[in-house]
Amino acid sequence: MYVEVGGKKVFAATGGKPFDSKKPVVLFLHGSGFDHTIWGLHSRFFAFRQYSVLVPDLPGHTNSEGPPLGSIEDMADWLEAVTQAVDAKDISVVAHSQGCLVTLEFVSRHPARVKSASFVASGLATPINPALIEAAEKDPESAIAMMLSWGFGPAGHLHQGPIPGNSMLAGGRKVMRRNVPNELAADLKACNAYKNGKAAAAAIRCPVQVVLAGKDRMAPRKAGMELVAHLNEPELHVVEESGHIIPQEAPNRLRRLLRDFIFRHNPAR
Amino acid sequence: MSGFYRFDTLALHAGQTVDPEFGARAAPIYQTTSYVFPDTDTASSIFNLERGGHAYSRITNPTVGVLEQRIAALEGGSAAVCTSSGMAATFCAITAILGQGDHIVASSQMYGGNISLMKNTLPRFGITATFVDPTDLDGLQKAIGENTKLIYGELIGNPGLDIMDLEAVAEIADASRVPFMVDATFNTPYLCRCLDYGANITIHSVTKWMGGHGAAIGGAIVDGGNFDWGRDGRFPTITEPYAPFQGINFWEEFGPSAFATRIRAEAMRDFGASMAPMNAFLLLQGLETLSLRMDRHLDNTRAMLDYLSGHPQVKWVNHPDLPEHRSHELAKKYLPKGAGSIVSFGIEGGRDAGRAFIENLELASHLANVGDAKTLIIHPATTTHSRIDAEALVAAGITEDMLRLSVGLEDVDDLKADFEQGFRAAKKVGG
Repeated sequence: MYVEVGGKKVFAATGGKPFDSKKPVVLFLHGSGFDHTIWGLHSRFFAFRQYSVLVPDLPGHTNSEGPPLGSIEDMADWLEAVTQAVDAKDISVVAHSQGCLVTLEFVSRHPARVKSASFVASGLATPINPALIEAAEKDPESAIAMMLSWGFGPAGHLHQGPIPGNSMLAGGRKVMRRNVPNELAADLKACNAYKNGKAAAAAIRCPVQVVLAGKDRMAPRKAGMELVAHLNEPELHVVEESGHIIPQEAPNRLRRLLRDFIFRHNPAR
Repeated sequence: MSGFYRFDTLALHAGQTVDPEFGARAAPIYQTTSYVFPDTDTASSIFNLERGGHAYSRITNPTVGVLEQRIAALEGGSAAVCTSSGMAATFCAITAILGQGDHIVASSQMYGGNISLMKNTLPRFGITATFVDPTDLDGLQKAIGENTKLIYGELIGNPGLDIMDLEAVAEIADASRVPFMVDATFNTPYLCRCLDYGANITIHSVTKWMGGHGAAIGGAIVDGGNFDWGRDGRFPTITEPYAPFQGINFWEEFGPSAFATRIRAEAMRDFGASMAPMNAFLLLQGLETLSLRMDRHLDNTRAMLDYLSGHPQVKWVNHPDLPEHRSHELAKKYLPKGAGSIVSFGIEGGRDAGRAFIENLELASHLANVGDAKTLIIHPATTTHSRIDAEALVAAGITEDMLRLSVGLEDVDDLKADFEQGFRAAKKVGG
């Protein structure tokens, strides 16, 4: 569905069911360069189990009008505006990578309607190698290649995956190519500039869950454990066999973890 | 892994997760119709496309899945669906997006089965086609109408061997908001990845070079993931709710693999043109050595081109690697390793000499296939292209004296000796 926020068209997938603001909401957030489809093996599951699902494309990503936003804080404010526009209440946020930084800000600054938060493959900050930012500005194709190469674990690189016939590596490349040319650089700069993770994490009071990947080279376990250390009594899970892109590389394991956590803390009525 | 695995590595490993129970190194043959669900929630999730998994082998099968993911990896596509044959792949791919009143602009130089499908069969379902010389870009542009929903061609035309200018056609297709589908059987991804040049979908008869051993029939559809189906609402089968799956919107939920998912959900379920697991296993064995075999096919082809070009009983030889071929420059651009192992040539003495030549060969097999490890030969006008009319024969570049040769992997000196035997017999009947 499309909603208007700040005069710009925003796309949000709803998992195959119409969005109903009376139901509890599972809000999925994608990471740098990606879009709503990274959550395709999760969103439909919740939509068919009495939740309303909202999977927005960040501004400038795939179906949402640009330009891309320049900071994590701006993205958090934009997210608050999106949730208000659809009157979402009782929200369980599920975020991947850069989306986790946005979630730290969103939940710490707008806690009233949030029931739980799940952080997938992230630390408190995401320092970006300057060479990657430069590549994103000057040669996006090489930046995409770097991110996919580092982002996927062994299964992704061998085009294995849970959906028969699908190559998540090639699919990821197509999604990243679809986005507007400067979006990736904007995302990476926003991640690199974000410094408020510790304070934001400490301010979060809702139940939180952290899912890390054992073979993550973009948000290594050590960085993830820093996030764990600053959150208030998080549930911690490590998917040992996965690379950074857990939503696609280990969707069945992640779906079980999300289901158990969200069903418990934000039950459907 | 730093960087990405290369072609030969992917040809051996892509798509296969080593069997966790017994550690089988080869992809196991899952010769089963159906799969036991661990619980009702998993069952309903698979049926509702909430998760990957197998329910029934008409739709998906683990052995076929390895082949599909390996082909997708080699092509650089976001997904692949394997079918019972190459023609099944073509039919399923076309009908996934076209229906009553829709139109195809197709190359006039294609496999006779493709031409017959579009000229004789699809019109009964309300889908029409206009055939255009694949080298005539203006003609191709002019043939596109309001109801055109597809441009279809072969990179290496069969059997005329003209090369389609992929980038130019892709540009026309994109400007016309029409997907560009390429039958890439003759080139395989080893010689050219058509998706890299702007094609949106590739079709393969995996039976041919990919399988390579003449042992199993199979087809594949590769979704390039690079067509914007949602741009203007012209492709409702991809972008509008699909009732049989609770109103699923393939484009919204599957993005770059929306087209392949539609085929899986509709064509495999309703038409049932599924690949047998045993065939998938056999085709996987062939695919593992694709690059090695293709290099040898090309070496032998070059040797046979030299031999035929210098033979006094050969009127003409046609192959894009020959400098005089009208597509030679395009062949150098798109097929730098070599323009495949199909050669056509004309023999002195016409049809009778051709018949005598074919009937006196011992190594080269007279049959209706290409891309086998063994050398094959046929007279297209009376066999593979016999079901198309005289006008279409001319448009396809087929003459009465044409013999189509699929160069195999034999010792090339033995092949030449075999051909000498054929030429001697041809001479006796006036060749």
